[in-house]
Amino acid sequence: MSRTALITGITGQDGTYLAEHLLAEGYEVHGMVRGQNNPRIALVKQLVPDVRLIEGDLHDQSSLIAALESSQPDEVYNLAAISFVALSFKQAINTGEITGLGVTRMLDAIRLVNAGIRFYQASSSEMFGKVRETPQTELTPFHPRSPYGVAKTYGHHITVNYRESYGIFACSGILFNHESPRRGLEFVSRKITHGAARIKQGLDTQLSLGNLDAQRDWGFAGDYVRAMRLMLQQDVPDDYVVATGETHSVRELLELAFGHAGLRWQDHVVVDERFLRPAEVDMLIGDASKAHRVLGWQPTVSFPELVAMMVESDLRAVSSTAPRATLP
Amino acid sequence: MAETRRRALITGVAGQDGGYLAEHLLDRGYEVFGLALPGEEVAGGLDDGDHVLRGSLTDSASLEAALRRSGPAEVYNLAAATSVAASFLDPFAAAEVTGLGVLRLLEAVRRVDPTIRLLQATSSEIFAGAEVSPQDERTPLSPRSPYGVAKAFAHQMMSVYRESHGLFAATAILYNHESPRRGLNFVTRKVTDAAARISLGLQEELRLGNLEVSRDWGYAPDYVRAMRLILADDVADDFVVATGEMHSLRELLDIAFSAAGLDWRRHVVSDPDLFRPVEPVHLCGDASKARSHLGWAPSRAFDEVIREMVAADLDRLKGAAPPPPARPGPAGPPASLPRPGGYDAGSSATARRAGPPPDPDAPHGKR
Repeated sequence: MSRTALITGITGQDGTYLAEHLLAEGYEVHGMVRGQNNPRIALVKQLVPDVRLIEGDLHDQSSLIAALESSQPDEVYNLAAISFVALSFKQAINTGEITGLGVTRMLDAIRLVNAGIRFYQASSSEMFGKVRETPQTELTPFHPRSPYGVAKTYGHHITVNYRESYGIFACSGILFNHESPRRGLEFVSRKITHGAARIKQGLDTQLSLGNLDAQRDWGFAGDYVRAMRLMLQQDVPDDYVVATGETHSVRELLELAFGHAGLRWQDHVVVDERFLRPAEVDMLIGDASKAHRVLGWQPTVSFPELVAMMVESDLRAVSSTAPRATLP
Repeated sequence: MAETRRRALITGVAGQDGGYLAEHLLDRGYEVFGLALPGEEVAGGLDDGDHVLRGSLTDSASLEAALRRSGPAEVYNLAAATSVAASFLDPFAAAEVTGLGVLRLLEAVRRVDPTIRLLQATSSEIFAGAEVSPQDERTPLSPRSPYGVAKAFAHQMMSVYRESHGLFAATAILYNHESPRRGLNFVTRKVTDAAARISLGLQEELRLGNLEVSRDWGYAPDYVRAMRLILADDVADDFVVATGEMHSLRELLDIAFSAAGLDWRRHVVSDPDLFRPVEPVHLCGDASKARSHLGWAPSRAFDEVIREMVAADLDRLKGAAPPPPARPGPAGPPASLPRPGGYDAGSSATARRAGPPPDPDAPHGKR
């Protein structure tokens, strides 16, 4: 029998990948969108036309109840969030409302509408922040260093709480950074691959970045959404780290991205202090042993392959929209 | 003596701790302002016209207005939706007030005057699922109730604002602390009130949840002293405030009912409906850092606190009692009397009700 899923945050990178994956697995997929004139809806319709869009907002619990009642899902994937760390310092209360309290609203809506609905919460490696141990597992204590990280930690804890106290099948996937050609331009990986493509096409000469020494565990978003679905197919709900287990610096990313575009990053990159975080997180490396063992999940795309994929995509996109490039 | 008195603003001033802290700061020469909900009764010490401001942690504008009006050097955030049990019924109140409310206050402090020193009353409930005992400032957070999850959010947010915005944002990680002014929805007060009522013939039995639980129970006036010391320190930091001793609910019953001349085994019923969905097991605090760094130490032993509470409840109820029972309670005068009306929101309304409090208990509520 075919299953039905509701995805919040359908307009984001993970939302469209997850929708594609679930549709391929035979699901009926509903995507929750907010706002009357959300410009990203067109993108969703283009990428995943079979997704049925319904209105709803994590700010508004009654809209979540209505969305659950009309879509009648077996599974809910909560991917919606104010997801950019830098913005969370400027809009801390809004981040708390959406990224944090929004999780409670959805969980409580599930409890009211149909407590048998399975729930996936997109948790984040930013919860580890100032890390207590390396690599990080499901048992590593949290020490978030941004309003985003604190709000995600709240979402994780309340997910565990609804599982323990109300018996909801609620899973928290602790996802480390995951990128793709669909990553937002505000994230450093895409900023770099997009910047390299623009410089290659002569549209820019410089790229301003923050901390080049920052290290992250970067995986491919298309791999990570598979792990989300697997979590909700288990016999018991649980928490899983999803990561590659490898760490790379922004410098390495620059090397690969600019190298792939035939450029030297040292000729184009300038460090701009405005892009430094007030409090940088430490070296985040995930230990996904549990996901390997229990879910049978493995990443399929290596870091160099990921960066190459993103640069290729950006080169294509930039050259198709660019005015005639003026190359030296 | 400074010419202008140091100003403090206390949120949750109508609660047990708010009242004690207001008195403590007034004693120390502060000018004290309190923030209370509209309509909330604030007893003792503070002049309702000038020094009791109305507002809520759910309303950023009211917080900014209170800060501008009181112009404090220190803000003590004691306001919260305090019942663990109620948080299972209404996770949103916990999140909005106890969690996001602190973030609203942090933002208001940042806008109005970033030199204000802010103390957040964190709860030991952030350690409810702890696998180590006792807990200290380095123990990983493991909340197990919507209340605890919200308190954890607030606690971590304090640390972010300290680190990233340079605010003097300090926390007191407070273990249970009791007094004659404790709200009737807390298990200690529920027990001392019931012991007094039963000895006066006003009540026959007491229904409780799990009798096997243990807690680290201290004395509220001791804990508000720690709050002031934390804000008087050179740098903002987190401090566990606790006795480091565990006592079981059975011990509490023994002491309280004995103080009223009763045997609790004849009056107490353990009701599985009042068990918490998830019961914390090992909540015991290690206050070494507060002891060594702040010179803080508790002044009262557990049995003294409980006996003081029973004596106060007996005194308060005698006026309302029907003809006195054949066997009067042995309690002497309490060390300090609660103010008429009490500080706890709602306690004055429920104090003279004949039956047991209708609310499930904290920390023994049902969901």
